Amino acid sequence: MSPSTLKKALVHTYMTLFTLPIIAMIVWYFLSATMNFTTGQFTMDNFSFFKEPVEYAGVKLPLIWPIVLNTIMYSLLIVAIEVAISVPTAYAFSRLDFKGKRAAMKFLFLMRSFPGVTLIIATFFILVQMHLVNTYLGVLLVAITGSLPGRVYIMKGFFDEVPWDIEWAAMVDGCTRFTAFKKVLVPYVLPGIGAIAVFSFLGAYGEWFLFKLLIFNDDMLTLAGYLSKLITKENQIINYGLITAIGLFYTLPIVVFYIFTQKIFMKVNLGGAKQV
Amino acid sequence: MESVVPPQRYKKPLTKKLYPYFFIMPFAILVFIFFVLPAVATIVMSFTDLNASMKPKFIGLTNFTRIFNDYNLPLILWNTAIFAILSLLISLLFALIISIATQYFLKGKVSAVIYRVLWLIPSIIPAVVYVTFWKYVFDPTEEGFLNNIMHQLGIVSDPVSWFTKGAMAIVILATIVSTISGGMILLSAAINSIPEDLYKAARVDGASEKSVIFKIILPTLKWPLMYITISELIGFVSSYFFIMLLTNGGPMRDTTTLSLYAFQQAFNLKYYGYGAAVSLIVVFISFILTLFFLRLFDFNQMIKPSRIED
Repeated sequence: MSPSTLKKALVHTYMTLFTLPIIAMIVWYFLSATMNFTTGQFTMDNFSFFKEPVEYAGVKLPLIWPIVLNTIMYSLLIVAIEVAISVPTAYAFSRLDFKGKRAAMKFLFLMRSFPGVTLIIATFFILVQMHLVNTYLGVLLVAITGSLPGRVYIMKGFFDEVPWDIEWAAMVDGCTRFTAFKKVLVPYVLPGIGAIAVFSFLGAYGEWFLFKLLIFNDDMLTLAGYLSKLITKENQIINYGLITAIGLFYTLPIVVFYIFTQKIFMKVNLGGAKQV
Repeated sequence: MESVVPPQRYKKPLTKKLYPYFFIMPFAILVFIFFVLPAVATIVMSFTDLNASMKPKFIGLTNFTRIFNDYNLPLILWNTAIFAILSLLISLLFALIISIATQYFLKGKVSAVIYRVLWLIPSIIPAVVYVTFWKYVFDPTEEGFLNNIMHQLGIVSDPVSWFTKGAMAIVILATIVSTISGGMILLSAAINSIPEDLYKAARVDGASEKSVIFKIILPTLKWPLMYITISELIGFVSSYFFIMLLTNGGPMRDTTTLSLYAFQQAFNLKYYGYGAAVSLIVVFISFILTLFFLRLFDFNQMIKPSRIED
């Protein structure tokens, strides 16, 4: 027997109440971007940032389209590099024997639970020494190092699930270890690669902190840094219409993307919690 | 030169021994330059008086004695503790409620998927976009959501300055709403793994919903809960992104946590050495928690030997 209807109604009521702030947030975003609150009329004035550079309360920002291009390029680059590095690493951790594997695994675990932001002061000086401050390369390297341990960890979980028989069979048929990896294992873990690609993309797309810290030219910003310039200025009245309009333009594509990929989020077992 | 007696043990050729290292090489190099080196550099810097003049001098433990005499320290430690503990407890509680509701009471229903999808949105959308909503809700001018509503209901005539009254509460609220989903995913996965027969058997025996939750579901969640507790605690102690976007530690130092304080000392006041010393303390706390973590979750189980000899 399923729980009674009364109980279900109760559960629904509570859940709706809990979810209300999030619904409010979504509704507000659409309303604020497209409505003039004082007159209560529909307006597209806030979307003029499509055509001209944004200027508000002394903050001058460049036209948005080059920034959009930066964001897309940066995010795709991060996805490509993170996948390219984390898949072989996870394979080695999951399938190969090598000296120092134990120590390396422990270190991976340490790094994974250890937030890189605590080391950001020293990282900054290392970037200065390498002349990588105010370059994309510097941001890329720091961002990738910060998120790689998590990606490797998820990927390792996927490799662990692959039956050994498959690899044995491939090698009996004349594959070397590497061709077995390339032709048999990688196709087998494609869902995992898809998952880490999605995570990497979302992480890179929302990155604002490293841009704030390491990039000084406004025309090199990504959308997150662009928006943060508008909302973190102190002692000013925030222009919500403008910010929500840019925010909507910025967020809508990934929310749609997320709704299509949301199954991935529930499927990935993020390790550690495995020991049920 | 070949010996007639076959070798006792199979000896791996050197290329095969080196081969795994090629796979982890890029990762290892990155980790070395951007994790190991900064860690060492943080330790070194914390013993110097490195500042804007860029002429570091070794000053021994002065930075550390300065931390313990810092008049801001009690407030900042208090902020860190309140922020971490309250955020953790409330987000765990809600993650638990939501995952039980969607995976047990509404299991397999479309509404369960909708709730989950909605709850994941705050952690999916960029932080910058997310915090704007909370800025709007608690905006100190008449335009702000709460002020607007309270004004129209006639509760207050003048706009309330929410951020001076309860900045920490706002920061915690915003943090919770976006971190619940992380715990929710893990807990939902764990509840999902409970076989349906167990519930059926319990119902046949006349168990109430309460005992199903307390005797079947909660015991299953022991490990995921431990995992979430420690990993989120480390996260709350050391990260400050939402705080930075929402209040930047203000008003005064009301929402400054230890790690944000380190950042401000280094990048706003250019006391790099002192900032490094403060962040070393954060590192130390995180390290202790991580070690605890490794102990708790049997580490050896995670390492599987290769089953191909080559």
